[in-house]
Formats: sequence, C-alpha cells, structure tokens
Amino acid sequence: MPTRKVPGVLASFVHIDAACDAIRSLQGKGRRDFTVYSAAPNHEIEEALGITNSPVRLFTLFGGLIGCAAGFGMTIWMSRDWPLLVGGKPIAPIPPYVVMAFELTVLIGAFSTVAGMMFLAMRDGTPGLAYDPAFSDDRIGIFVPAGADQAGTLAELLRSAGATEVRHDA
Amino acid sequence: MADETTESTLDRRKFLTVLGVTGGGAAVLSGCSTDKVQKLIPYLVQSEDQVPGVATFYASTCTECPAGCGVHVRTREGRAVKLEGNPDHPVNAGTLCARGQAALQGLYNPGRVRTPLARQADGSFKAISWDDAIALLGGKLAAAQGKVAVVTGTGRGTFSDLLASWTRALGGKLVRYEPFDFEPVRAANRQVFGLDQIPAHDFAKAQYIVSFGADFLETWLSPTEYQRGFAAAHGYHDGHMARHVSFAPRLSLTAMNADRHFTVRPGSEAAVALAMAGVILAERSGAPSDASGLKAVLAAWTPEKAAEASGLSADGIRRIAREFASASPSLAVAGGVGSQHRGAVQLCAAVNILNYVAGNVGQTVLFGADLQAGDGYAVLAQLADGMAGGQYAVAIVHEANPAYATPRSLDFAGKFSKVPFKVALAVFANDTTRFCDLVLPIHHALERWDDLRPRNGVASLMQPVMQPVFDSQAAGDVVLKVSQKAGGPLAAFNAPSWEAYLRQAWAAFAKQQGSADADGFWRAALARGGVFTPVAPVSVRLAAGAAPSGWQAPALDGTEGAGSFVLSAYPTSMLYDGRGANRPWLREMSDPVTKITWHSWVEIHPDVAARMDVQDGEILMVTSPHGSIEAPALVYAGIHPDLVAIPLGLGHATLNDARGSAGINALDLLGSQPSDGFLPYTGTRVTLATTGRFHQLARTEGTPRQLGRGLSDALTLDQARKGMTPALAAAEGGGHPEEEVNTEREVQALEGWRERQQQKTQLGAYAEDHPRWGMAVDLSRCTGCSACVAACYAENNIPTVGEAEILRGREMTWIRIERYWEGGEEQGEPLEARFLPMMCQQCANAPCEPVCPVYAAYHTADGLNGQVYNRCVGTRYCSNNCPYKVRYFNWFAYNRTAFPEPLNLQLNPDVTVRARGVMEKCTFCVQRIRGAQNTARLEDRPLADGDVITACAQACPSGAIAFGNVKDDASRINTVARDSRGYHVFEDLNVRPSVTYLARVLDPVEA
Amino acid sequence: MAATVHHAQTHADVTRDVVATLGTPGRGYNLMLAAAVSAFLIGAGTFVMLLKDGLGLAGYSPPVMWSVYITTFVFWVGIGHAGTLISAILFLFRSPWRTAVYRATEAMTVFAVMTAGLFPIIHIGRQWFFYWLLPYPNSRWLWPNFKSPLIWDVFAISTYLTVSTTFLVVGLVPDVGAARDKMTGWRKQVYSMFAFGWKGTQHQWRHYTRAYLYLAALATPLVLSVHSVVSWDFAMSIVPGWHGTIFAPYFVAGAIYSGVGMVLTLLIPLRKALKLEHMITEYHFDNLCKLTLLTGSILFYAYAMEYFVAWYSGNTFEQTTFWRRAFGPQWWAGWTMIICNAFVSQLFWFRKVRTNLTALFVISIFINIGMWFERWVIIASSMANDFDPWAWQVPVPTWADWGILLGSFGWFGMYFLLFARTFPVVAIQEIKEMIPMPRKGGAH
Repeated sequence: MPTRKVPGVLASFVHIDAACDAIRSLQGKGRRDFTVYSAAPNHEIEEALGITNSPVRLFTLFGGLIGCAAGFGMTIWMSRDWPLLVGGKPIAPIPPYVVMAFELTVLIGAFSTVAGMMFLAMRDGTPGLAYDPAFSDDRIGIFVPAGADQAGTLAELLRSAGATEVRHDA
Repeated sequence: MADETTESTLDRRKFLTVLGVTGGGAAVLSGCSTDKVQKLIPYLVQSEDQVPGVATFYASTCTECPAGCGVHVRTREGRAVKLEGNPDHPVNAGTLCARGQAALQGLYNPGRVRTPLARQADGSFKAISWDDAIALLGGKLAAAQGKVAVVTGTGRGTFSDLLASWTRALGGKLVRYEPFDFEPVRAANRQVFGLDQIPAHDFAKAQYIVSFGADFLETWLSPTEYQRGFAAAHGYHDGHMARHVSFAPRLSLTAMNADRHFTVRPGSEAAVALAMAGVILAERSGAPSDASGLKAVLAAWTPEKAAEASGLSADGIRRIAREFASASPSLAVAGGVGSQHRGAVQLCAAVNILNYVAGNVGQTVLFGADLQAGDGYAVLAQLADGMAGGQYAVAIVHEANPAYATPRSLDFAGKFSKVPFKVALAVFANDTTRFCDLVLPIHHALERWDDLRPRNGVASLMQPVMQPVFDSQAAGDVVLKVSQKAGGPLAAFNAPSWEAYLRQAWAAFAKQQGSADADGFWRAALARGGVFTPVAPVSVRLAAGAAPSGWQAPALDGTEGAGSFVLSAYPTSMLYDGRGANRPWLREMSDPVTKITWHSWVEIHPDVAARMDVQDGEILMVTSPHGSIEAPALVYAGIHPDLVAIPLGLGHATLNDARGSAGINALDLLGSQPSDGFLPYTGTRVTLATTGRFHQLARTEGTPRQLGRGLSDALTLDQARKGMTPALAAAEGGGHPEEEVNTEREVQALEGWRERQQQKTQLGAYAEDHPRWGMAVDLSRCTGCSACVAACYAENNIPTVGEAEILRGREMTWIRIERYWEGGEEQGEPLEARFLPMMCQQCANAPCEPVCPVYAAYHTADGLNGQVYNRCVGTRYCSNNCPYKVRYFNWFAYNRTAFPEPLNLQLNPDVTVRARGVMEKCTFCVQRIRGAQNTARLEDRPLADGDVITACAQACPSGAIAFGNVKDDASRINTVARDSRGYHVFEDLNVRPSVTYLARVLDPVEA
Repeated sequence: MAATVHHAQTHADVTRDVVATLGTPGRGYNLMLAAAVSAFLIGAGTFVMLLKDGLGLAGYSPPVMWSVYITTFVFWVGIGHAGTLISAILFLFRSPWRTAVYRATEAMTVFAVMTAGLFPIIHIGRQWFFYWLLPYPNSRWLWPNFKSPLIWDVFAISTYLTVSTTFLVVGLVPDVGAARDKMTGWRKQVYSMFAFGWKGTQHQWRHYTRAYLYLAALATPLVLSVHSVVSWDFAMSIVPGWHGTIFAPYFVAGAIYSGVGMVLTLLIPLRKALKLEHMITEYHFDNLCKLTLLTGSILFYAYAMEYFVAWYSGNTFEQTTFWRRAFGPQWWAGWTMIICNAFVSQLFWFRKVRTNLTALFVISIFINIGMWFERWVIIASSMANDFDPWAWQVPVPTWADWGILLGSFGWFGMYFLLFARTFPVVAIQEIKEMIPMPRKGGAH
C-alpha cells in the first residue's frame, strides 16, 4: 500500500547559493524538519545544514572486530576439534590463521557497514515526501512539511531566497 | 551349456575326496569366476582353511620360464590375488621376478581360450562341447596310424613323461620346445667335458665374475636364483664385494651391474676368453693337471690377438685374467640368448676352459644338477620340414607358440598348415592356435595338478588354487580321455584322472625316496611346494676333443658391405620369449635398460645416428636377406657401433594388449638355418634406412642424468672401507663440503625449535606411543630388475594406463626404478648406470601434507603419509610440493580401463581401487602393516620385527630392501639404515624421509 | 581538477550523456555480445567433456600438475586488482582522475574475479566435490585444513568477490536513481527497484558518503592481500621457482600491471562505442599509462631479482630452473613474458606513446599476453623441471585447455557488455560533485 503523502511545500533551486540561503532562513525560522534533495553531495549544503559525521563508522569498527575474532576462533577451534598432523607443523599454528582472520575482518566489516548505512538512512528519513526527478539531475530541492495554513508564508520565504519553482501539495 | 558340464562332474563325493586331499580343492567350493557367479554356493559347511577376509596360501611352481621357481599363491575367497616366492624353494628362496609376478595376469587374461573351438568348413571357429572335442581328437588319433607330431612347451615333469610315453605308444614324434634352449651351453659341455648337461652356477660363492654376454640377471638359465647369488657376492658387505666384469657387444642390464663393462666387437668374446685362459695357464700353477694339454693351443691365442679381434687393450685382458685367477673361486659365464651367434658354442667352450683352468669347475660351476632346457631349435625345424613333407596326419601343439617364436623364414605356420589335422592344447589364443583345426582350452598352471623338475634334486609341485576361470581342463585329463576314446595302443593310458595319474607317479617317487607313507609324503610335498634333495656334484675332466680348434670370427649371413650392421635380436627381462606380450604389467613396466614401455624399438649407436642423421623415435627400416621390419630408433651409447639391437617379444598377431602398439618381431629378420642345433639370434647382417616417419618413444625416463644432485650416490670400495658417508666422499671429490649455513645467532635462535614444534603436535592420537615405519634400500645390491615394481602393481591394484598416457608421463608406478647414466660423454669414458628405486619417502616433515586443503594427505600416528582417497578432491598441490615426485594422479578412470574382465578378479581385496580424479601413492603396504598388527593383537603379543614386510621388499631377488620399525632399536631396519653408506635423497630439504638409501659401492677396473 | 572533465559541461549534460548510454544497443554491440556468448558456450562444452571423461583431456604431463587452468585463474584474479586500486585506493588518495573511469574498472574487477573463481573448480580432479574446501559441518565433522594456501585462497577470493561487488553496487545506487528519473515505462520500474528508494536527501548523503569511504578503506587492503595470498599458493611450496619471498609484492605489482592493461583494452573501444570521449579523455589514459609504467618497472625489477637470487643463492635447483626458463624447452614463453612486461612497459616513458590511443591499445594487448605468459612460465615451466630430473616433462596444452581459456573470455565479456548497457559506466554523481553548481548572477 502506498505511503501516505506528507503535506508540505516543495521548492526547487538552480543556484547553489540560493538553496543555501533558503536553508539558513528556514533554520532562522527555527525549522529543522525540512529535507534537502541534491544530485550529488555538496559541501555548501552540508555546511548550511551543519551536518555532522555519520555514526556508520561504528558499524564498520565492530563488524571488523567480530570478523577478526570469528576468523581466529573458527580456525583454531576447528583444528583442535579433530587434530590432524600435517608436515610436522603444530596442530593449530597462529601465523597461517592470520589470513582467515584478516579476510573475515574485511568481509564482515563491509557487510555491517552497508547494513549500518541502510539502517541509519531509514531511521533519519521520512517516507512519502514530495520529490521531483529534476533533483537527481541538476536541481536542488527543499521540502518543508507544512499544513495549508503555513504554506503561503513558507512559499514566500523560499521564493525570496531564490527558488525557481515552489509548489505546495497537500 | 559349457559350464553345465564342469558343474555336473562336480558331484558331492568327488568334491569331498578333493577336499580330503588338500585345501586346494576347497577353492572349488568358494571359487568365483566370471561365468559362474550365478552359481555361487554359500558356505554350508565352513571349510577349515577358507575364512572370508583371511588369505589362504597354496604352494605352487612358476612356469613363466624353465627355471621353475617355487611360489606361494595368496588366495582370498578362493581367488588367486598375489604370487609370492616360496621361501623353502631352493631355486628362488622366497623371492620372485617381475615375470613370475605377472603370471597372475596370464591366469586371468582376457585372451585365454574360453571353450573348446573347432574349425568350420568356412574357416571360422565354433565353440563345441568337451565331449565332442575329445571324440573328434580321439577319432583323428585312431585314424592317424602313428603319424602324429607333438610339440610341448611344458617343462620336464610327470606330464612331459606321460606325453613322451604316450607319443612313443602312438609311434609319433615329440619335441620339447623352449625358444630359449641354451643349446650352445649344452653343446659346449658335450665338447669340453663330454657331458650333455647344463650345470648349476654358484654366484654367491664367486669372488670374481666375468660375463661374456650371459645376461644372468635377465633371461639366462635361472635369473632369479642368479640375481640372489650375484647380490650376495657383489653387494658390499663388511668390506668385501666380488668384482663383476662384462665383455659384450651390448650394455645389457647384467652389464649395467658390472664394475666394468667392455663393449667388444660382436662375436669376438671367445677370443678374449681364450686369451684369458691362455694367460692363466701360462702364468699360474694350480690349474688341473690335464689342462696342460691345452697350453700349446692356447699359446696361439695371445691377448694381442684377442685385443685386435675385440678392440680392447691386451694389457687390460692380461690384468683381468690375472685378477680372475687370483680371486678364487671365480666364475665366468657365457651363452646368453642375445649373444647366440654362430660362434656361440666356441664361446661357451672357451669359457668352460677358462673356468676349468681357473679351477672354478666343481667350485662355482656345478655339474649334476642339469638344468632343464628344450630340445633345441634344430629339432623343431626338422619336425616342421617333416610336416611340410606330409609325414604327419595329426599335429598337437601344447602350451607352445612355435609359429611366433621361430623365424618367419622357417615358415613354420605354412609347413604346420600342411598337416591335415592340427590341434592346440593352449591357455591363450596365440599365433599358433590361429592355424589349428581344434583348440582345446587347458588349465593355467595355477588351476591344475602338476609337477615340474627344473633340475635334478628339485621336484616342484603345482596344485589348483582356485576354480578354473574358464571352461578349461588339465592337459593331462585331455590326454587320458582322448586315449580312452582313441583306444588301440593308447588304451593303456587309463588312469581315472590326471590327478590320480600324478598321485601314482608320486607314490612311485615316494618309494624311490624311501618313504613308506605315500600320502604323508605327498601332503608334506604339497605343503612345502615340492621335494628338494641335494645333488652330489659330478666331477668332470676335460674330454678328448676339448682343445679349442682355435678362434675365427663367427660367420654371418647377409652380404658384408658399406652400411651393413650385425643384428642382435635379444630378449628383454620383461617379455622373455614373447609370452609376456599379453600381460599389461609387463608391457607397462619399462624395460630396465631403455625404460621404454609398450612398443618395439631399434637400438643404434650415437655415431651411426649422427652419420645417418637419425633421432630417437624416427622410424627405421631394418632389412636383412630374410625380411625387413620398421620400428622407432633408440640412440643408445651402450652398444657397439657395428651392432643393431632389437628386443624380442612383440609383433604377435593375436597375443597382445590393445593399449599398446603391436610392435614388430625381430625374428622376421633372421635366417631359418640352425647352427649347431640352435638358432643364432645374433648373426645376420642388416641394413638401415630412414623412413622420415616418427613414433614417439613411450619412455618413463625424463632426464637420465643426475646433474650432480646426488640422487643415486656411489662410493669407491676404498671410501666404503674407510666408512665414509656419501657426503664426506663428495666433499673429498671436490664437491660441496658440509657447512653450517646459519650464523651463530641463527643457530642459537633455532636451539630447541624443533622440540618446541614437536610439543605442539602432541595432541589426540599423536600423543600416544606408536611405531615409526622405515625402509632402507641397498643400492649396492639393487640391480634394477624391477621385480619390486611388479610386486607393487600386484599388491596395490595399480592400474596400467597404456602407451598414449605413458607419452604424457602419466604412468602410475608407486615404486619406480630411476636409471641414471654416468660418464660415457667423452670418447673412451665408460658409460655406467646408477639405479634408484624411488617410492614415497614417507617424510616426517612431509611437504605434501600441509598443502592439502581437505586433509586428504595427512600424517598417521605411526609416521606414514596417509592419503585418504575418498577425501581427495584432486587439487594435485601435494604432487607439486613433493620433491620426489612419487604421487600419481588418476587423470582418467584408469580403474575402468586397466582391468578388463576377468583381470579384475586379480584385484587385492585389501586395497582400494582408486577412482578418477584422486591422487594415490605408495603406502608402505599399509594393509600389510594393519594386517600384521591385527594378527599380533589377536595373538595377544607385541608386533615382532619382520612381522611386516612390504610387497617390494618381499619380492626383491637381491634382498636390497629392508623394512621395519625404526623405534625398535634391535630391528633389522636400524642395523641396515645405520650403515655409514646410508643417506637420504635431498637431505637438505629437511623433509626427513623415512627411506634410507645405502650408496652403491664401485670397484673400478682399468681397461 | 579542471582537466578532469570537459569544461562546457553542466550537471544536466552529464546525466543526459551517461543515461544516453543505456539506450537500445546498436549492431556492433550485438555482434560483440554474440561472440562473447558463443565463446562462453565453447568453454561450457569443454567443461562438460572434462566432467564426463576426466582432467586427462587437458595437457597435463606430470610433474606439471597445474598448467593452463591455474595460469588463467591467476591471470583473471590479477586483472581484478586494477579496478579496486582505481576505485578504492585512488578514492582515498582523492585522486580526481579516477572519477571518470572507476565505474568501468570496478565492473571489470567484479567480472574478472567472477571468472577467476570458476577455475579452482574447473581444475580439480573431482569438480563435483569443490565444496569440500568450505568449512561447513559435514557428516564426519571434518574441517578443511587452514594451513593450506588453497584454503587461504578460498577465503581471499570469495571475500574479494563479495566486497568488490558490494562496493560496486553501493556506488551505483545514486546513479541508478538518476537513471530512474530519466526513464519511463518498464525501465523506470526496473531502475526504481535497483535504486533502493534513493532520493538524494541530506540524510542519505550523510550516511552514504561515510559508508562509501569506509568501504573504500576496507577494499584497499584487499588489493594488496588477495594477490599476495594467491602468490602464496606458490611461494608457500618448496618448488624451485615458486619458493620465493619476493612473490607477494611481485604478484601484486603484476596484478595491477595486467589489470591496467585490461582497463586500457576495454576502455579505448568502450568510450568510442558509448560516445564518452569528452568524459574519458587523454588525461585519464595518460595517468593509466603512468600507473602501468610504475608497475611494469616493478616487474622488471622482480624478474631481474629472481634471476639474481637464483644465481646468488648457489642453489643448484633454483639455478637449473631459471636457466631452463631462459634457455630450456620453453624458452619462448620465458622471453615472451620478459619482453611483453619488462620491456614493452618502458615505452610509456614517452608522452607520445602515452597519448596515442592506437599505440595504447596494441600495447595493452601485449600486456595481456605477457601477463598470461608470466603465470604460465612461473607455474608450468617451474614445475616442468624441479628436484627429481627423472620426472621432468614438458607440458603440451590441448584443445581442452584452449577451450576453457576461450570460454573464460566469453564469460567475462558477456557480463561486461551487459553491464555497460544496463548501468551507468561513468559515475554520474561523482562527476557532478566536481562540476561547480551555478550561482546567482551566473558566476562560477
């Protein structure tokens, strides 16, 4: 079933500085709940929004640690579980098992990173926001959730900031 | 139908009588063979000597050559699976050669005659019942009025006696035919000693052995026995070894085991022997008084003359003559098939004189034994003429293949075909049975009651070890039944069965041996394998005509001229007279000298090759006045430039194995004229022509030089006496001295490192106390004969892969004999061979194990490199990492192609038959180890030294291989392996192999 | 930065041009695809024969137990490395020139490793039991032998395949989003699916950019480790010519060298076919060539060092191996490797060569051949003459070897061609990232 559309004002910008002005003035109005669309990551926008580092790195770290432990644990346990002597070498030598530990570190680290990214992006995002295909092309979009009452003033604000196109959909 | 008859003859009473006699009969109960599987009878009454899963051994006699070695037949569930030497037997004393091992592949050969066959009007064969066959033959014999010719290939024994009296009763003619009849030896003994005998030779006793082309390690008289004696004398033991010098035009396996081999001009050996005799007689006293009569004659045969004739140095001949005389007793031998030229009798006579003047007769040359041999080629040729002349109405050929084994120029087949009715009593369909009107399948030696008297004092028994594989009968039964049918003079031969007849004969023998209890005598003989009595040596003196008429180069037929060579058609130790051609093992096991498998070749000298611009494998056309053959060239530095050598044994029309080329028969080039009653195998002139076509040589040899890698090490006699290790000797010889490669600090760092590593391996089963198996191979005893290889094939179900795969180097020989050449590069430098039996070294730090991703290769608790076939996925990394290259991969489903029915019946049930795509290798016969351990456990005793013996060690006629538990300090393996000559191949790799090699000892002889 | 993309480009142009490559393919493309598929079918047929009759069909002659299959395996693994190097390492180094080419090279990586992954299975004696190399609980609770370099291989290759695939897919998401927004009808549906709901909101970008960075960081050591592990398949053994400490760096350099070679072979025709000349420019090829020159020179050094060590060690086995490598029965292979790798790469000292695409293409072919032979020489010619002279043999490849080799190129080409038509081969969003957005008053 389709997600319920969120009512609000959707503005589209050609110029980057215009978009940043709009963001700042919205923040001036104490709005934090708006969403900015861009076709590529953009530092000016990030600065305007005051974006901080993503916690996804924690997922990477712990994924990696788990992988490393798994690598050593598996190899050593399996060697001792059924001891078989080969080439006069110790039953469970550490040096060769570093390889397995390393590979699993990378593998599980990578998986948890992707998982973390998906989880966080879903947590922060809101479904059902208005969107315009142009945003993945050369436009910057700003959507401000708003009822019919605030729509007018917001539209005015965005237009004054330099939005080339503003529409309100309920 | 066919097998109904055999079944019906087997009523309960008969069965019980058989069983009463010997366990051999029990095979009847449990025996399985391809065409009787549906008639398997369960054990109602468990016979006491047939325990499922436990091997039963029967004593019997080998019939693969006239030597008559005793064998123990290992049977499982009533099926012969392995032949082993009979330790009680005087001839081979528990060892067995490659040909003997392969007798099993004769028993189970797909090419055997499966039922009686009668020729139809349209020339095709039709299977008929035994009754009809007997009736048919009986009728013909009755009508033949004595015009009967009989050719038998069987050795001297009760059956040949029966055949003799039978033929006499018929008024026919009997020929006992052995292609290799050693007639020259016999003739020379007649001439020199007036004694029509072949003596026994005591190599073990000899201090100095000179061979004039007698290949006593290959096919001469009694090779297995002689190899045993030779190893005992020539193998280095507490500071001593006999010298072995060889004079021959070709470097044979025997010559390769000489301390010095002299390549002499073909036919000139006699001159050398006479000269030596002359020197001894002139210079030394102590020769028998009657020899002085020879002085005058021999004086004419100066070493100078001999040197001129043979192309050697006179001083050399003198020196060797003196050494020969001073090292008493010594032994000179001659008369090998390969050197049977028209002067062969002269040569043997000269050698007899040499032995006589050196006082060896009665010491190492022992008359009285009279080794058996055939009647000689001349007799057969005569018979053939008789056949052509219409003298015979019926011709019977029994266990012989004269149509193949005689020169094409004799046209035996043609003459034979002129006989109105031709019968073959044959085990295999061969080149002679093709021309017969009636072919009767007879029992293989392992299926029948029989006996053999290979020499005086040896009466060797054979007994049926299993149910016949096919619908065959004992030749003796056929003769007796036919006699009854034919009646007349033959009616006298009326024993109830061949077995009964044999028992009668043995009852008489028992009486003669002074035994009252014939049954007991018989049982004891069966158990022991025969009756062996010492023979009083017959002392001999020179006969009247002993003095040599003098020497001249033997006559050759064919025209002398530019580009003409002397042909030597010689027998190989694998194929013998050609009866090996249908045994896959003998075809695939490389010839010990050339390492060629499966096909024929022509040996030419490098100079000749250079002159004709011929390379290995280029097909040459060899033409003699009597015919021509085409075979690939082998450029071989071991032969005299005047000589062209072609091995005998291939080129059969029917007897063959499809996975190799049929090859050619060198006999096609020979003339049919006998010389002094024998066939001169060397003595035809041939010319060579290139064809421009190639046949890649299917060789198991990669690179025949050691490249200074010290694989097969050798010491001089002095070095060995000084107790030098090979490493020390190498250092002395300017090689790399032993030196510490690590720095002081490294050495300290390594301190106790191995112990610490060991600690980390003590887990699970590895923590317990186990034996550690080791092997030692004495290279001064190993002659490269390859008996061990055959034994390994038989014991471990090793598949043969065929010629095409050999070309890709894919042979599966778990143990292989590496033959390296030394010297022979500059002019005059002698070409010497080194042998190295190479099998899995069962390394303690095995490089093959850790690289296996699935633990298919792992270390067993008792120190073997285990290989789990079921677990193997075939990454082949283990083989890459094996420095000895002793791991073999199943590239195809060899197990499907190598054992065509009924050959599969030979497979050893104790050993897995490996499937496609898995790696396999030598296991130190782990099945035998576990078997012995279980027996010990059942008998509640610790494993004793010698309880376990590997197949290779058991077979080795030289006793070169020792095996045992190295943790047991008293074990034989330790005493052997601790010899100062001991070394490990590639010791520097620190893989710590369990196989120790004892360096060969060389006793160099200057020319 | 200016040189990285053509000046007169706006975000709109980028989207348009790249998405244009996803249109219906032309005749040339179809022909190439057909060729690739039929090559693959030949390989598949050969494999069926191997399954039916056994490995004996291939030209193995003991002691040469590994030949064309393992050679080709290492060849394809090597190819992969350039892709990850360009996409991951150069990303961390913020090297701008990678942007235009990394997507294509990364795709090459994934497909090359996919191809390589087939060979360990094809080459074993009982292919149907390949899974015994995996540590799964079987009926006997018997585990694989982690001391075996082949098990390291299993882990290294499968990790490499998974991570580089993930990296590729993650990189694709925003571009697929962009493509989706340009599409209509069923295509839109499909791309929407693969866009995973990508909208380009500031939250998505926040986590995405970070995650991508860490993925790059994780993929980076793989570039060095995977081929090191592959090299240990040989270096861990005692075979003369294999048992060398130099192997890991030597193999990694070789891998990147061969990879870049393959990148050139693929990109030069590709940019033409997809009309991307203004995005993938001389500048990129120039840099690729410099990378080739570097790695090629490292190889040169490695070859020289191998011979030096063989001589200096005084070890007769090593010496024989290397003597025969140059003058033995397979001398021609040895020299092919040295000429194509050590010498040909030195041509890149000249700017003229680096900027002449025709020359580049020809040279890249030489590089591919040379690197295949390098592996052949190391593997087959070393094994052909190791410790025991009695066992020496010279391997002769058969139709079964060539069939599988051909098939592997078909298999790789098939996937690469399909990818090039289905997904943006140039990273839209990363290029946009480098094009400054318009400002009020049009000032850039």
